[in-house]
Amino acid sequence: MTSRPYTRRKFLAASAVVGSGSLVWRPAYAKGSVTAAMYPGTWEEAYRTHVAPALKKAHNVDLGMTPLFAVDQIAKAQAARGTPPFDAFVLDPGPRVTGIERGLFEKFDPKRLTNVGKLPAGAVDEWGVTVAAQVVGIGYNPKKLPRPKGWEDLLKDPWLSRLGMTGFQTTFGTVSIIEIAKRFGGSETNVEPFFTEIKKVLPKVAAIGAPASMPALFQQGQCDVTYTNTQTVDTLKSRGVDIEFVKPESGAVTFFTTVHIAKGSKEIDNAYKYFDTVISTAVQTALMQPPNNFVPVNREVKLSVNLPMANLDEMSKFVRHDWSKINPLRAGWIERFNREVSK
Amino acid sequence: MSVAAAGVAKTPARGIATLAKPAEWQLALPLALAYAAFFLVPLLLLLAVSAFEDEKITVLGFANWRKFFGDPFYWKVTFDTVKLGFLTVIATTLIGYPIALVYLGSSPRWQRVILFIVILPLLTSVVVRTFAWIVILGREGVINQTVMWLGISPAPLRLLQTEVGLVMALTQIEMPLLLLPLLSVMSRMDPNLRDASAALGASKWRTLFKVTLPLSLPGLIAGCMLVFASSTTAFISQFVIGGNRLVYLPLLIWQQSLVVYNWPLASVAALTLLVSVSLGVVLIATLGRRSKGYVHA
Amino acid sequence: MLGDILPNKPSSKGGQVPTRSADPSISVRGHTVDLDAVTHRYGTLTAVADVSLTVRAGEIVALLGPSGCGKTTLLRLVAGFLRQSAGSVRIDGKPIDALPANQRNVGIVFQNYALFPHMTVADNIAYGLQAHGRPRDDVRKTVERFLEVVRLGEFRDRLPRQLSGGQQQRVALARALAVEPTVLLLDEPFSALDKSLRLDMQIEIKRLQRQFGLTAILVTHDQDEAMSIADRIAVMNQGRVEQFDTPINVYDRPATLFVTGFIGTTNLLRGKTLHSSNGTTTIALDAGVQLAIASERHFAPGTPILLSARPEQLHLYGEASADRWPVRRRFALPIGPNTMHDLETRDGATLKIVEQRIGAIVDATGEAWCGLRTEARPSLFESSSQP
Ligand SMILES: Nc1ncnc2c1ncn2[C@@H]1O[C@H](COP(=O)(O)OP(=O)(O)O)[C@@H](O)[C@H]1O
Ligand SMILES: [Mg+2]
Repeated sequence: MTSRPYTRRKFLAASAVVGSGSLVWRPAYAKGSVTAAMYPGTWEEAYRTHVAPALKKAHNVDLGMTPLFAVDQIAKAQAARGTPPFDAFVLDPGPRVTGIERGLFEKFDPKRLTNVGKLPAGAVDEWGVTVAAQVVGIGYNPKKLPRPKGWEDLLKDPWLSRLGMTGFQTTFGTVSIIEIAKRFGGSETNVEPFFTEIKKVLPKVAAIGAPASMPALFQQGQCDVTYTNTQTVDTLKSRGVDIEFVKPESGAVTFFTTVHIAKGSKEIDNAYKYFDTVISTAVQTALMQPPNNFVPVNREVKLSVNLPMANLDEMSKFVRHDWSKINPLRAGWIERFNREVSK
Repeated sequence: MSVAAAGVAKTPARGIATLAKPAEWQLALPLALAYAAFFLVPLLLLLAVSAFEDEKITVLGFANWRKFFGDPFYWKVTFDTVKLGFLTVIATTLIGYPIALVYLGSSPRWQRVILFIVILPLLTSVVVRTFAWIVILGREGVINQTVMWLGISPAPLRLLQTEVGLVMALTQIEMPLLLLPLLSVMSRMDPNLRDASAALGASKWRTLFKVTLPLSLPGLIAGCMLVFASSTTAFISQFVIGGNRLVYLPLLIWQQSLVVYNWPLASVAALTLLVSVSLGVVLIATLGRRSKGYVHA
Repeated sequence: MLGDILPNKPSSKGGQVPTRSADPSISVRGHTVDLDAVTHRYGTLTAVADVSLTVRAGEIVALLGPSGCGKTTLLRLVAGFLRQSAGSVRIDGKPIDALPANQRNVGIVFQNYALFPHMTVADNIAYGLQAHGRPRDDVRKTVERFLEVVRLGEFRDRLPRQLSGGQQQRVALARALAVEPTVLLLDEPFSALDKSLRLDMQIEIKRLQRQFGLTAILVTHDQDEAMSIADRIAVMNQGRVEQFDTPINVYDRPATLFVTGFIGTTNLLRGKTLHSSNGTTTIALDAGVQLAIASERHFAPGTPILLSARPEQLHLYGEASADRWPVRRRFALPIGPNTMHDLETRDGATLKIVEQRIGAIVDATGEAWCGLRTEARPSLFESSSQP
């Protein structure tokens, strides 16, 4: 009886491998183990290098990872109906709201984390805990352009004709466009002013690319200014690209990546141990170092000079958004962007 | 003697053939099952999902079909996708066929070299090849540097996120799909046929159009069909090189299924892509068969 | 070695060479082909070495030799598919070396026929005419005429793959002949046909060649084929022409040991010369006999030689004599009305003799004596010249 859901989970994990074209890294024999969904690429690399050994050392728990983007995690958990293919989600704010709405998470008890006191206010709630922050602002090439002051500068020359844009498909793209819209009279739920403005200047925009291609476009000089996060800026800088991060006058935008326990997980205790390890001072410090460049969420971490704030409490002044309002509108915005931007 | 022998030989041969038939049919069974499991079932699921109206897949109805086909924008996206396929087919053929002719005229050693160069792109991932094209097509890329050095244009041309640039990249990316079937057909062609044509007084061009081209047509058609099917569905290349300025069906499918979770609408787009790609492929096959008739006459 | 090239005296069959077409509506007269010291190399491999030949107007010449000796290469040089490394090819005395294949007007029939598989029989025949820019009406009439010539009228709309091997070959012939070529080249034209059909096609080709007064060069590795169809045979070995002569001379007067071995079956007996005078050479064979042999060549006394005698030039006797040598009969095989005897000489050589089964010797095994038949003229070669 007990083995059945386990094999089914294995099968689903295997399907995930097929789906993502990557390998599941899962310990064969584990006294204690937990399987976490993980963003492929930088996140998976960094968590394998820093989180897994720390978790093993502190709690003798093995960390298995299933590489999945946020949307795939939601889709797979929903399809599995109660016997999820992994124990823990890692999600950006948009999918997080979707997960809550669809009842995919176990209730979360922050008191079970020993490190919870080191987090800034609002980093935990009844659904999960914040493990990383993203700080979004403007990245520009100081050798080619003067420093932009705010979001509205992006739609003016000299920046406009060197601007690289992405649409609403990513979290950082969505929040950046909302901020631009706000400069022209819009709001979190009204991006119409952005569309009005962009229509006037569209042919001058240097690049409107796929999110994944933006770093390459910047590196190749196809665009010299773009909205982006500190992590991307630091990574490009370390490759020798001329790029500086600018905190817009209206404030940098921040959003948080959170982790959640999958509904029906059999490894709830180990999931808490995993979360506690991730937010520990040592691990958060390691994740902040190049080449990972994560923005930490633990107040004991001494912040890198590259970050646009002196301490984490400053981040409470950064702009944040309510994704339960954004989510229902996003499909329409994406469609609208397609129409306006394609010839 | 030989007639009698043939008569004797025929009867058992026919007997074996009838015996072999059910066995052969059974041999094809795993393939048929795999086909059913990995193509038919997903296709039926796709059809089923498209028949729901809401994103949570609870209310039956054809709202998403009406939305998709009632909107000129989606018609345009579908048209652009098919057009991209045909442009890529034309470009790969114009560049690939002469390469195949060079292959045909080369010594076996050079043929191996050419074949290796043709296969080489397949050994690197599409992602890598596509990102390489950002470097080539960019403002400061190889093409623009050449253009400016030659003084053809005072400012860098915009190639990234244009149809021209995308077709250029796809031409290179899809070239192996055109050349592999084409070269395989060409290398099986009897070289004496071209000599026979020359001995009968035909010029090189007449030989090309009356002998080489019609006989290589099956390979060319197969290659064109592969290129068409592959370029219309090349999401990564379309999105990375075309950006958001060029919207094709695969981008719509990705957005609807993986960003906004509207699976019914994504299914409609996917089925539209499937049907338009199939129609394109059938059209190429038909054109090929037609022109074969002309070339022969 | 090649003292035998280019005999300028008329062929023994000269009278049979037609100079006019038998069918007055078709007037293709023969043309001469001269190969002048032609050499061809593929990289370092010399496939054709210094070949000189003259093919007379209306003559069929067979290039005969083992596989890989350069026959096809020589044919392709004449057709213009290859450019020779040295030497010159002339048609009617005019060099054609600078002309590409499509301006040489040379007809060729390939070993595999190389019919255009996507064209009907009629289209195949029309192809060359259209390439020559003949008017449509002329093309149609010529195609009809050649369909009739090769008796394939009812197959005009078939595709090549719907024809038998023999029919395909007739289409290939018609296609080559329709453009009235100066010379017809045939590369192993019968090798893909089964035996019964082979003879029919040989007759057919001979008929067409006569009818059109064609000059033809035929490549083959089959000596019977070459003997029956050709006016003259060029025997090739390792890129060289060993002998160029009439079929009878090639068989009866082989110029070299290679030719002797390649054409027909022969028996080789080792020995040395005693003396040589007035066209007669006296030899002592190791088998244990002295013989006087008619020979145009003069040999110094004591030269080691090989005597080459055809099976039908030898005879088996029941008793000894001065011009016979002892043999041991090992076995006998009945072949039709003849018996083939397998014999061993005293020095260990194997002899094959064909006798009509009249019944002179009853025993199949045992001692016997072997001698030359009265009119037999075997050939003598220096044994150092053995290949
Ligand atoms: N295209 C070629 N390249 C290199 N060597 C060749 C080529 N064609 C023929 N040869 C070589 O030349 C020699 C003569 O070939 P060929 O003329 O075809 O002989 P044949 O027709 O008498 O069998 C052979 O040794 C063959 O291997
Ligand atoms: Mg040959």
